[in-house]
Amino acid sequence: MTVDITVTIGGEAGQGIQTVGDLLAQVCRKAGLYVIAINDFESRIRGGHSFVQIRISDHEISSPRYEIALLVALDRQTVLLHQDKVSEGGVILSGELFEDAEKPVIAVKFDKLAEEAGGKITANTVAAGGCLALLGAPFEFLKDILSSRFGAKDPSVLEKNIKAAELGYQAVAETEFKWSFTWEKGPEKGLLMNGSKAIALGALAADCRFASFYPMSPATEIIRNLTVMTEHIPFVVEQAEDEIAAVNMIIGAAFAGVRSMTATSGGGFCLMAEGLGLAGISEIPIVIVNAQRPGPATGLPTRTAQGDLLFVINAAQDEFPRFVFAPRNVSEAFHDTIRAFELSEKYQAPAIILTDQFFNDSVFLATGQVIAPSSVPRFIAADADLDDPENYHRFAFTESGVSPRALPCRGKAIVKSSGNEHLEDGHISEDKSNRTRMVDKRNAKIEAMTEEMSGPEEYFEDAEILLIGWGSSAGAIKEAVDLLRDKDIDAGCLTFSDIWPFPAEKAFAATGKAKKCVTVELNSTAQFKRLLRQQTGINCAGSILKYDGRPLFPQDIIEEIDRFL
Amino acid sequence: MLTKEDFFCDFENKWCPGCGNFQILDAMKEAFAEINLSPEKLLIVSGIGQAGKTPHFFKCNFFHGLHGRALPVATGAKIANHDLTVVVSTGDGDCYGEGGNHFISAIRRNIDITLLVHNNKVYGLTKGQASPTSDIGFHTKMQPHGVIAESFNPLTAALAFGAGFVARGFSGDKAHLNQLIQKAIAHKGFSMIDIMQPCVSFNSVNTHAWYKKRAYDPADEDHDTGDIDAATALSRKWGDRIPIGVFYQKESSSYTDRIHHLDAGPLIDFAYEKNRVQQLIDNG
Repeated sequence: MTVDITVTIGGEAGQGIQTVGDLLAQVCRKAGLYVIAINDFESRIRGGHSFVQIRISDHEISSPRYEIALLVALDRQTVLLHQDKVSEGGVILSGELFEDAEKPVIAVKFDKLAEEAGGKITANTVAAGGCLALLGAPFEFLKDILSSRFGAKDPSVLEKNIKAAELGYQAVAETEFKWSFTWEKGPEKGLLMNGSKAIALGALAADCRFASFYPMSPATEIIRNLTVMTEHIPFVVEQAEDEIAAVNMIIGAAFAGVRSMTATSGGGFCLMAEGLGLAGISEIPIVIVNAQRPGPATGLPTRTAQGDLLFVINAAQDEFPRFVFAPRNVSEAFHDTIRAFELSEKYQAPAIILTDQFFNDSVFLATGQVIAPSSVPRFIAADADLDDPENYHRFAFTESGVSPRALPCRGKAIVKSSGNEHLEDGHISEDKSNRTRMVDKRNAKIEAMTEEMSGPEEYFEDAEILLIGWGSSAGAIKEAVDLLRDKDIDAGCLTFSDIWPFPAEKAFAATGKAKKCVTVELNSTAQFKRLLRQQTGINCAGSILKYDGRPLFPQDIIEEIDRFL
Repeated sequence: MLTKEDFFCDFENKWCPGCGNFQILDAMKEAFAEINLSPEKLLIVSGIGQAGKTPHFFKCNFFHGLHGRALPVATGAKIANHDLTVVVSTGDGDCYGEGGNHFISAIRRNIDITLLVHNNKVYGLTKGQASPTSDIGFHTKMQPHGVIAESFNPLTAALAFGAGFVARGFSGDKAHLNQLIQKAIAHKGFSMIDIMQPCVSFNSVNTHAWYKKRAYDPADEDHDTGDIDAATALSRKWGDRIPIGVFYQKESSSYTDRIHHLDAGPLIDFAYEKNRVQQLIDNG
């Protein structure tokens, strides 16, 4: 039997919805299943409505789905908001018999059983137990996960949670459920992580040692991961007074020789724009993560979007080379983060990692290898590497545009850097020929930087209709292609992760075989379509655009494809 | 033994003749020479303004960054390598205006750097607009009816924010300023010297002679630099007599002292350890 079902758990903020989601995802991973869990929440700490939607499958998956097999409702609102998505044979597992439920309800007294287990706070664990019982999972699986999750805490906490899970489990153990299946133990298909964690791990594997940040959803989770993980490895996290300080601090630390990063969302990135330019002109390697959310201004703080593409490529006044990466999945985010640090240092140019709330907050199974490199190449010149360290010029003209980079106070070479236009030695200059040469020097890097960029991933690239997307939308686009092909529609896709410098030749070659190109993007003005045309001359037939703040689902594409057939 | 000539740099100086910056530059070089801080061991970070150009007239490592942002750059550099001696050269507009938020936070962090604020109570580089420290009523081309806002008192503010080394210098008393700079660098933790200086082009009120007549060192009048209340009272003195010298000094652990990772040495000196990173990855 093929397993491919979606479980949605909904309730108020503060009811521990996310914990239920985490538990389920971990149990599924232990059982050798594939999972994707999206977290949907409002910008509030208590109340409102939030939900976790977990797709569970025995084959590789890359996107969430709309149809729900099991709706776990911790409140009435969840029933009202999600029951229309409950599929044929699906059920609602809820704390009481809501009379406006239009789908079959299995009522389990979550609160009462939680109190019996030792506290109302464990109601979410009761629900997790019930949920896994309906799906046919052995109770031991959940017990193991609970033990590793709560084991380190007060033993009574673990005891209460196991009891709660057991009561929930037993309450529905005998109930028939259409989507119940046989669970086996392992083998695990990969590590479970959200986009934020993948980036944090990538940063550590790139030997980043300093992060400065100002809290902003959905980027803060990256820094939280770094903070937790670096309790025992040398790493400094500093909460700056604002994003301007954050970016300038990492510039200072990188100037002094430590790989450094910051993470923010669009609003914070706006404040960092001048600092980005400073890194550009003073040729300092820094990595900035912009986890996109809908804007402008405060926009929708806890929602997702891909509206900052052209902004990050163009942010800061005037011109300077930079890298932009938009990872398509968590394994890639890990590797792209390593690449961002390495290439940023190799070319002495800032690098931006462009993600989004959906990617940062959703949990995926990393099916690619997540292996830390055995060594980290550094692109730094010591006195011994320099012909004449006492006459060192930080911005020496070279053919490649990359000047040997010495660090301050590490030898005889004296490092002079300026955000003003400068001479080779770092001193201010208004000389017109020097200005032209310095701009040319910085721009000279672009050719080699472009060579470093990968082209799009191709999937049925010679199809009639070629969907083109970038970043975290890649998963839904690829699954949409599969669904369309099942319906005998000749669709394929190209998805990009290396955005800037734009791999124009590779993009041009990849689009050559398709009859019609359509971009799929989470913004309202088809930014990637415009970029593609600007960089390659390719004119797409149109775009499928979504900008309601919610993640892209394959169904969103399928519903609009008729326009292009 | 170093001399100020060891910091000589032949880069053309574009300050106005008679600018107080020249004396500050000299005092800095003399102080660094006297404490035997060699050019390759010194990092000066600066922002934008005439004071921001100071490192260009030095032989030493420098980072001349954005307007108002010298303190965060200096903070980052110090975190990366706390063996560096980091001096920030900035002005009243750069530090107290554009960079005001960073001024507060650098003090709160007690990051072990030395802040030298060239305070001429006016914007020089942008040609004579009011600065945060301009006196109320001060006339400029942009404030033809006089400055409307009250003047910012950096020393009172620094004391209120909890700075551990608060001093005022005067460009016209180079030997005194030299001594202050040496004390500030020796201080463990954040140290600041607000340096009164004339602006020969745009401030005809607070001239060299004006300051010279008023400046006195409270150390000569038994000021207790460990007394925060006395220091605060001193910081409010302005008029016929203006105190210059150390107002307050109290050492406490600095930012980098408070980070346990850095007990073993500067952040830059650790080796990459693949196994520890892989362990974190595999721990899930």
